[in-house]
Amino acid sequence: MIVPLEHVLLFAAALFFIGLVTVVSRRNLIMILLGVEVMLNAAGVVFVAAALRWWDIAGQGMVLFIMGVAAAEIAVGLTLVFRVWRRTRSLNPDSLKTLKD
Amino acid sequence: MTATLCLTLFAPLAGALILALGGRALPRAASGLLACLAVGASLAGAILSWAQLKDGQELAVHLFNWFEAGGLRVSATLLYNPLCAAMTTMVAFVSLIIHVHSLYFMRDDDGWVRYFCYLNLFVFFMQSIAMADDLVFLFMGWEGVGFCSFSLIGFWYAEPKNVLAGNKAFLVTRIGDVAFLGALAVLFSATGDLSIQHLSGNAPVMAAGTLTLVGLLLLVAATGKSAQLPLLVWLPDAMAGPSPVSALIHAATMVTAGVYLLIRTFPVLLHADAVALQAVAVVGALTAFVAACSALVQHDIKRVLAWSTISQVGYMFLGVGAGDPSGSFFHLLVHAFFKSLLFMVAGIIIQALDEEHDIFRMGARVRGLVPGAALAFFCGAAALAGLPPFAGYFSKGRILENALNMAQTGQGVWIFVWAAGTLTALLTAVYSFRVFLLAFTGRPAQPPETGTEKTPAAMLHVLWPLALLAVTAGLMDLPAHFAHLVGVPAQWLDHMTGLVPAAPHGAEWTGTVAEGLDAGLAVLGLVVALALYGPWREHRAPAPDRGVARFLLNGWGLDALYMNGVARPYVRAASRVWQNVEDRLVDAAALGLGSLALRAGGRLSKWGIERLSNYLLWLLLGMVAMLVVMAAIGIR
Repeated sequence: MIVPLEHVLLFAAALFFIGLVTVVSRRNLIMILLGVEVMLNAAGVVFVAAALRWWDIAGQGMVLFIMGVAAAEIAVGLTLVFRVWRRTRSLNPDSLKTLKD
Repeated sequence: MTATLCLTLFAPLAGALILALGGRALPRAASGLLACLAVGASLAGAILSWAQLKDGQELAVHLFNWFEAGGLRVSATLLYNPLCAAMTTMVAFVSLIIHVHSLYFMRDDDGWVRYFCYLNLFVFFMQSIAMADDLVFLFMGWEGVGFCSFSLIGFWYAEPKNVLAGNKAFLVTRIGDVAFLGALAVLFSATGDLSIQHLSGNAPVMAAGTLTLVGLLLLVAATGKSAQLPLLVWLPDAMAGPSPVSALIHAATMVTAGVYLLIRTFPVLLHADAVALQAVAVVGALTAFVAACSALVQHDIKRVLAWSTISQVGYMFLGVGAGDPSGSFFHLLVHAFFKSLLFMVAGIIIQALDEEHDIFRMGARVRGLVPGAALAFFCGAAALAGLPPFAGYFSKGRILENALNMAQTGQGVWIFVWAAGTLTALLTAVYSFRVFLLAFTGRPAQPPETGTEKTPAAMLHVLWPLALLAVTAGLMDLPAHFAHLVGVPAQWLDHMTGLVPAAPHGAEWTGTVAEGLDAGLAVLGLVVALALYGPWREHRAPAPDRGVARFLLNGWGLDALYMNGVARPYVRAASRVWQNVEDRLVDAAALGLGSLALRAGGRLSKWGIERLSNYLLWLLLGMVAMLVVMAAIGIR
């Protein structure tokens, strides 16, 4: 492995943090979903790095799983976002407060 | 032997259970007969057991283990000795007569099955007291008779007055029971064993201080059950129950249970400091005197008898205190016969006069209404007064002779005890004949207010065995010089029970003096009663009760004293506690916690469900916190 593991982990952490901040701070449902995707991929990077570091193929297999889950998640998520758009004509998550009333 | 003892003890319990579970399904006559049969079986068992008992033998019969806790092993063990044999036989015999009498007395009552069920249950508990060796087993019987007494005093529960009388009896006797438990605790911590047999055996080697404490606690326990000072207030009110109940529970058996307990555990008193026996004697003498004074002025025939019961049980205490349990037991037996007779005859009269209790409204007409009642009542009253040669003369004379013997030691306390006992003998004779003369002779001093009712003659006829015993029971324990005259063994009861009197044998003359004095006082009482209340007495209303008479009528103001000194302050304190502690502390704390939770919930909900983005933020913060904690403590 050419790149040291620490560097990859730092990169993945930065990626995860970017996703997290996106999720928390954006007021757009699509951007929140994007943030979740970025966080998932940060985890995937760590898996790939670990697979290379210890020469274990299971890590790369796990990344394939994550991709599958991400695809399913984005499909369901976008459908929900679409339903929200149809209902409220807005993509702001804070407009979803019918449960409170 | 075990079989007959079990029959004695458990036949009444079986009767009570059958009546309780299926009594209503039985025909009326069958349930009554069943109750009588159960007690008859108990009597048969008692007699058969006695026949098998050898002289002076003492048997401990282990029936079954009851429970075991913290080193205390409680088992249903019986201690069968001649004293117990005589007691069980007396209890079963008197109970049987009272059961048969009740068949007639309660003939129109709706609570027929309930009545006989409680009556049978009572006999079971009373036999447990009479036979138990284990003091905890005895305590079960002790509480059981208390419960039956409570239920039967308030038997006619439709009237609140009766229920209150039952409550009073129950509560006042509980005070004595606390002392009983105290005695058990002291005994258990001192010896680790609660068997009467072991206790009697160990008493000579135990510390006198412990024995004194136990003896005094047992005395308090006995004063509760036997209605002695200071706990005597419940018995006069207990007359609210049916008359046969008064005869059984509040004259013949339960109220003498305290005396029986002291006789049974007499070695404790004997080896304790002298103060224990003195306390028993003083309580007995004082009670005898106080109650006799109150009996003098009562108008209600049953209340006269109730006060006289208290007074006579006081004599039994005096006998035990003077160190002669055998003489006390003699009086216990004799008293059971004549007092239950008196109560039941009184019950018949009350029924015949349609619930008239006032002796000033009775008079000679009663003799026509219930033929024979006057004779039966006279037998009982003469025995109560101690008129020779009725049974009470010998038993009470024996006790007073012992008191005189003790008085010769010159100690002030014994002189007081003897003087109180002797004075009471005179009062007893006066009130006994007063009630007899007022209730059965002359014209009623006040016009009768109630009608009359025909009573079945058999109701009286079943009482004749008791009347016969009231006359002749003295034969059981005649002193030698009387025994020669009639040709019966002298002091038979003493030899039979084998109870050794601890009282010193007095000089020759004390016996003669005591006997002469006793006979003289009884005759004097008869003369006084005749002079004041003879059949030729003036036909006028009794003087209104004022001053001393009112004081005595109300039982020396003890009721008022307890009401103002104990009950009312207690109720006041309880209501203070209710308002201050319950309402302002406990309730307020609970309510405060509740409203705190509500308000906190309201606050939280405000920033909880407002915005989805807040959820995410909190999720993040929570995760960070968890990670920080995990990083801090490390993961292994």
